[in-house]
Amino acid sequence: MERRSFFKIIGTASGGMLTGACGNKARQIIPLLVPEREIITGAEEWHPSVCRECGAGCGTIVRVMEAERKTRQGNENVRERIAAIKKIEGNPLDPVSGGRLCARGQAAVQALYHPDRIRGPLKRVGARGEGRFEPVTWDSALEIAASAVKKAVDKDPARIVFLTRPEASNRSAAVASFLRALGAPPASTTGLCDFEIERQAAEVVFGWRGLPVYEIQDADYVLSLGADFLGGWVSPVFYARRFGHMRRGRPGRRGQLTHAESRFSITGSSADRWLPVRPGGELALALAVGYVLVTGNLALANVAAGLRNGFASVDFERAVKISGLPAEQLRQVARDLGRSESPVVMAGASVVQSNSLDAVIAASALNLLLGRIGSKGGVIPPVEASIAEFADSRAHTVNLLRRLESAELVMLDSANPVYAQPASAKLLARAPAIVSFSAFIDDSSAYADLILPDHASLESAAVVVPDVTPDRALTGAQPFVHPLYDTRATEQVLAELSKILGRALKIDTPEDAFRKLFAGNKSDWSDAGEFAKYCNRQGGWWTESSRSAHASPRFELPQLREAEFQGGAAEFPLNFVPYPALQFGDGSGAHLPWLQELPDPASSAMWGLPVEIDPKTASRIGLKNGQMVRMISPSGQIEAPAYVHPAAIPGVVSMAIGQGHTHYGRYASEQGANPLTIAAPLTDPQTGAFAFGATRVRIEKLSQQDRLVQFSAVDREPELHRR
Amino acid sequence: MDQQDTKPHRWGMAIDLDRCTGCEACVAACHAENNLPLSTPDSAAKGRAFHWIRIDRYYEGAFPDIKVKFMPVLCQQCDEAPCEPVCPVYATYHNAEGLNVQVYNRCVGTRYCANNCPYSVRFFNWFEPVWPEPLTLQLNPDVFVRPVGVMEKCTFCSQRIKRAELEAKQESRSLRDGEVQPACVQSCPAEAMVFGDLNDPASRVSRLAQSGRATRFMEDLGTQPKVFYLKRGE
Repeated sequence: MERRSFFKIIGTASGGMLTGACGNKARQIIPLLVPEREIITGAEEWHPSVCRECGAGCGTIVRVMEAERKTRQGNENVRERIAAIKKIEGNPLDPVSGGRLCARGQAAVQALYHPDRIRGPLKRVGARGEGRFEPVTWDSALEIAASAVKKAVDKDPARIVFLTRPEASNRSAAVASFLRALGAPPASTTGLCDFEIERQAAEVVFGWRGLPVYEIQDADYVLSLGADFLGGWVSPVFYARRFGHMRRGRPGRRGQLTHAESRFSITGSSADRWLPVRPGGELALALAVGYVLVTGNLALANVAAGLRNGFASVDFERAVKISGLPAEQLRQVARDLGRSESPVVMAGASVVQSNSLDAVIAASALNLLLGRIGSKGGVIPPVEASIAEFADSRAHTVNLLRRLESAELVMLDSANPVYAQPASAKLLARAPAIVSFSAFIDDSSAYADLILPDHASLESAAVVVPDVTPDRALTGAQPFVHPLYDTRATEQVLAELSKILGRALKIDTPEDAFRKLFAGNKSDWSDAGEFAKYCNRQGGWWTESSRSAHASPRFELPQLREAEFQGGAAEFPLNFVPYPALQFGDGSGAHLPWLQELPDPASSAMWGLPVEIDPKTASRIGLKNGQMVRMISPSGQIEAPAYVHPAAIPGVVSMAIGQGHTHYGRYASEQGANPLTIAAPLTDPQTGAFAFGATRVRIEKLSQQDRLVQFSAVDREPELHRR
Repeated sequence: MDQQDTKPHRWGMAIDLDRCTGCEACVAACHAENNLPLSTPDSAAKGRAFHWIRIDRYYEGAFPDIKVKFMPVLCQQCDEAPCEPVCPVYATYHNAEGLNVQVYNRCVGTRYCANNCPYSVRFFNWFEPVWPEPLTLQLNPDVFVRPVGVMEKCTFCSQRIKRAELEAKQESRSLRDGEVQPACVQSCPAEAMVFGDLNDPASRVSRLAQSGRATRFMEDLGTQPKVFYLKRGE
């Protein structure tokens, strides 16, 4: 892998620093004012950091330069020179990002300089959900928060619900120890994009803790089953890098990708073959492919008898029918897998159905049939966590609505349950107390009694254990710009709250974390302090680690079954697939203007997301692009513009998650519709994960034509528009 | 022209469509680097949004045998650029390194260049760009903020080229292949984009441009683009 020279990253001083425009280099750059190249002689510094936009934990470098901050103090306009962040790139030393970064990661700088950031602690003055607040001091805010916590602890600490981000980090460790001290249950996530299904399946099938690592860069044939790994699944930058290598990184050897998903995601677009499986048919597809592998003698000889018999006894005809794919196509996929020198099956549930856990288990088991565990180009276990305490404190998915039902106190840290599961709004409305740590007034924080705003992530110290990585890794960030506003790091606030409540709480700084890492590892470094400094300077610690490629499959192959859907097929003839979009993830990226104006990969839509409808259904209802439609499910209805998607599966409509926030700053509030509003309240029974793909809808054409703004549209789709 | 080098550079790009996933990291990178004006829902609806690089989608076939081809499209830095001869004030011209450059303070806003560009990669500032405070703190001081009435487009990140050339000059050496990376190329997770000197036959971009898979976008127009697209494989 080519790694850029790293001389431009210099030592990170803690606290803010000011870059001068009068460094040595700057003085030598005399007036090269060629008109076309507006070179300004500013000095730049690059500092390592870690991206917190999703759980992938990409190592980044950020460009810091001097800038002028304009504020108003009283009646005066004040200008001050501060160190400002100009750009975020991937850290070339980091094994996850490898120096690359996705659109969301790059847009994170706009979260720092967003005009609607909360500027200090707030107390609610309006009704719950209205979003009206007044400023309070930190002292009184902490007092109110502490008394709310005390009240809840006195009543029943088991009814404290702490919702946090899907991340293993010093934050998750701080939250865990805060809750432990109160006797409260562990924190949980809102259940979108935290890949709980994949984690559980890895534990069931392989006995692994954490997400498997797919070595697709060395594979010849990849079958990805439900995993939109180039879009919003798990670690998109990491897998896109590996995908590029699989395609053209090995001269004379081009890996093949077959992708099965019930929508034409960007992974499907990049694949050689797309298998348009019916929603919920992923389990059937995996079982059918396994059946052909076993009965066609394409599987390994020494596969456990139970597993072999499990696949051999699959009702192939029925599986084919449920999958919605031609039998011959499934046979071909199995033959390709069986005959390939290094095949691998990536098992995921980008869109969760009520049978997704079984589907991911069955798809993972195909790797056992093919003998691809621990081999080159196969699937390898997650590395041992660099700091076990961080990994153990990672929040898990729970049945959110059930937890909130009896909540005495709800605490929100970068979690937006009202958006993720709109049915939770009425539960929040009647919760006795809600404390939010959000940096923005979002859909859920609008319900909070109190907001104790966190710093922007670029103003915070953090250490993150990445979700998927080939090496043992701990990626860190130092705050190298001063906080713009009167905000406090949530770790610090939790410590202060604990102190008021008479409990001590130890919070790990990145330095502490690296010192711990030093203590647990043999290394060339003689001194923990020097080691920590070194880690801070390069942005983390990554080391090759041996892993036992041992899998201990002790599980029953899931039985073939159809997924459950809410809504009868007669009244609600269409399947509805809301999906995490690559630009917005679980919807948390919607407040950033660069992401709002990023043309959607499927429809090229900007500042709004359409409902994607197949051409046949669209012509039956009489729809064309931009026509407003009403989508009705048993759980509710939303209105959105239509996009006639040439590659949508007939009878399956999909819509990206991201718009329709009630509150989320000026760029996202009251824009478009939240597709999760009409999603059925079904969950995966084992994990409690929200099965947001388990909905059936019907569509009504509305009279008005809304503006569907497409960036590269009509003139570039002659085929579509002739039809 | 750089004094250390015997020959001027001739900057070009290769984009491997077999690697490109359409993830649009390049689009975000371009916004972050080049101070592109923010659009609004209204301005976007009027066709006034700015993306110096965009991903075109070409759907081929019908369900279920359908394919989409993603294609990142930016200024093709044509050697025979249709935008150049129509500018009455020489605001758009060809520089010594083959870059098709726009001199903002010469531009009087006739928009002839955009009309004459077959690739639709030129953008006109109908209004003064606005960034609500404190978003201005992010603006890149190496790049001019274009005022109202001025045409703008992809520059191949000429500020990055200049910075790298200056650094090389200070160290009395030639630029290394791959040392200059426009923001889009730098960000690309699948490493689909390669930038370099087409005058250097050993550069990666030269070698890719010679590969059997390379084509140029609408090259039958005779524009002689310096962006090479490598076809997807089977």
